Amino acid sequence: MFLQQLINGISVGGVYALIASGYALIYSLLGFSNWAHGEVCMVGAYVALMSVSALVLPFPLAALAGIGGAALISLFNERFLYRRIRENKSPTMFLMIAAMGLSTVFQNGVMLLFGSKFQMFPTVIPITSISAGNIRIGVLDVMSLAISAAALIVMEFLIQHTKFGLGVRSVASNSYTASLLGVNVDKMLAAVFILAGALAGVAGILLGLKYNVFPTMGNVGLKAFIASVFGGLGSVRGAILGALIIGVAEIMVAGYLNSSLRDLITFSLLIATLLIKPSGLMGIHVEEKA
Amino acid sequence: MMLKRTMAAALTLSVMFAAAGCGNSTAPGGGNGGSGGSGQPAVAGDPIRIGYVSALSGDTALWGQAGLNGMLLTAEKINADGGVLGRQIEIVGLDGRGDPQDSVNAYNKLVDENKVVAVVGTNFSSCNIPMASVADQKKVPLIATAASNELVTVDESGKLHPYSFRLCFIDSFQGTKMAEYVLNKGYKTAAIIVNQGDSYSTGVADFTVKAFTAGGGAIVANEAANSGDNDYRAQLTKIVQAKPEALFVPWIYSDVALIAKQAKELGFEGQMVGFDGWDSYELGTMAEGALEGAFFCTRPGFSLPEAKAYGEEYQAKYNIGLEGECLFGNDGLMWIVQCINETGSADPQAIRDALENTTFFKGLIGEMSIDPATHNPVRELAIFEIKGADNVFIEMFK
Repeated sequence: MFLQQLINGISVGGVYALIASGYALIYSLLGFSNWAHGEVCMVGAYVALMSVSALVLPFPLAALAGIGGAALISLFNERFLYRRIRENKSPTMFLMIAAMGLSTVFQNGVMLLFGSKFQMFPTVIPITSISAGNIRIGVLDVMSLAISAAALIVMEFLIQHTKFGLGVRSVASNSYTASLLGVNVDKMLAAVFILAGALAGVAGILLGLKYNVFPTMGNVGLKAFIASVFGGLGSVRGAILGALIIGVAEIMVAGYLNSSLRDLITFSLLIATLLIKPSGLMGIHVEEKA
Repeated sequence: MMLKRTMAAALTLSVMFAAAGCGNSTAPGGGNGGSGGSGQPAVAGDPIRIGYVSALSGDTALWGQAGLNGMLLTAEKINADGGVLGRQIEIVGLDGRGDPQDSVNAYNKLVDENKVVAVVGTNFSSCNIPMASVADQKKVPLIATAASNELVTVDESGKLHPYSFRLCFIDSFQGTKMAEYVLNKGYKTAAIIVNQGDSYSTGVADFTVKAFTAGGGAIVANEAANSGDNDYRAQLTKIVQAKPEALFVPWIYSDVALIAKQAKELGFEGQMVGFDGWDSYELGTMAEGALEGAFFCTRPGFSLPEAKAYGEEYQAKYNIGLEGECLFGNDGLMWIVQCINETGSADPQAIRDALENTTFFKGLIGEMSIDPATHNPVRELAIFEIKGADNVFIEMFK
């Protein structure tokens, strides 16, 4: 049973990881927690859902549309809100407050447009599982883990091994110096928002496939945020590690202790991280950016 | 309690439709009563006035107006057949707006000004609980429709509200009956997953477990979870490993779909069993086949032949969508009429006594008797089975 619960936990953590890495990416550049990130997932899920149900696109195309939609919304947030706040030279806190506002605007906007009803994708993968001995893994979970892993690997590659990635890292390190050295900071930020948005879109669609699509589904972003704090704000690898640990911890708590302790333990972990090791598992120089 | 949750859920889904639809579905006589209640006391030869309180405006007017329409339609038929005790029936509907204070005011007005002999309504426990105390003072019987909270007919200490009755079964009743049904079907071991933050779920679960164990069955796993977690595999893994023959799921349908899918993924092959929280036309589709063959209990809706015929008549007259609440309207009125006919008196006190001593009443939602100690109906449950995307009516279970 322990092994089965471990697998359940990794499958929960895998989706957290996609969202958490988006938090980490944006935090590493702008030094603020993008509270609207969970809603970007939700918008991605709705775009994909509408592409399937209203436009009758085949699922793979609809998924691409969803990922694109989430990337666009994420870019929209940057272009029309966050950039403006930066140009006004407002405190970083303003970014976070604006993001909180956006999050509610998106939730309520979607509620108005589509109602708060649970909606679902047509059956993409029938409910089956692979069993090995006593252990069963849902085919959808295997797919979702594989897709999460692939998306995260692509992102790591982009950040670590491309010229674009170098630009991003230079802005993350010091945006002023980077701009002096000829890096177009606004362009880099736009690109990062698109990347984070696309990851959120993937997460939104996977979440939608697993748990249905509804306006408040982006609230899962809160768990992902905790994962990124736990892993180290601004560290993408830390965020992924944190997400997997939190996913497993939640399942173990619900499985072996009591499910009402599930959120309590996750949030206690958040507080403990901030008190004991504010830089998280893999973060650096948090004081400067917080 | 239960109904309020489902309604809230259903409503948020369809606020826009409701808002658009309500205007059209206004009952004849509309918000302020079927016909003008004068201030005169009732005398023989006058019509027998029967009141109705529910939300006739606002978010939940869809149900309120359906209940009133049902009463008006049935009253029209009774009157065409010569009325009751030679007198005509007159329905006076007042808008309680789904609000406790407005509902109490409406009840008072019906009793004080319209001189009604009995009142049907509402469908909300939150409204009926304060109305019950007022009815005790005014001594005019009140029959709730879908209000399923225990406190609608008894107070906190379990003392009976002598003038409060209800048509719907309460949460604990369906728990007990469903445990019996599952035992009758030959299942000896069962597991249960409970939504621990929801009193509907915990209430149903307590009575299910008690009755299942008392009937000789064994509960091999009793797991708690929270709605909104969305991932129930930690608990379901434990349940699957305990190998129960049946799994009780006293949850609201959107969670039920998730639970069913995850249980199936984890290899659960037993019988899934549900309650009236499952009663949604979307459940079969949402569960993507994971609930095939699962059964649940609820109200029969328009499944019984008499109810089906009534529904057709109702639609022909009002030309609006069918809502189960119109059956409650009919049954409330017919039950009162049965009591008036039995006692030969349209006096509120006589009606109350007859309501309390009802040993058999057959309405459009099935047969029932009344437990004089609690004023809760002992009634048949409708069993539905999920086949494909549909909930198929199987039988009435006594």
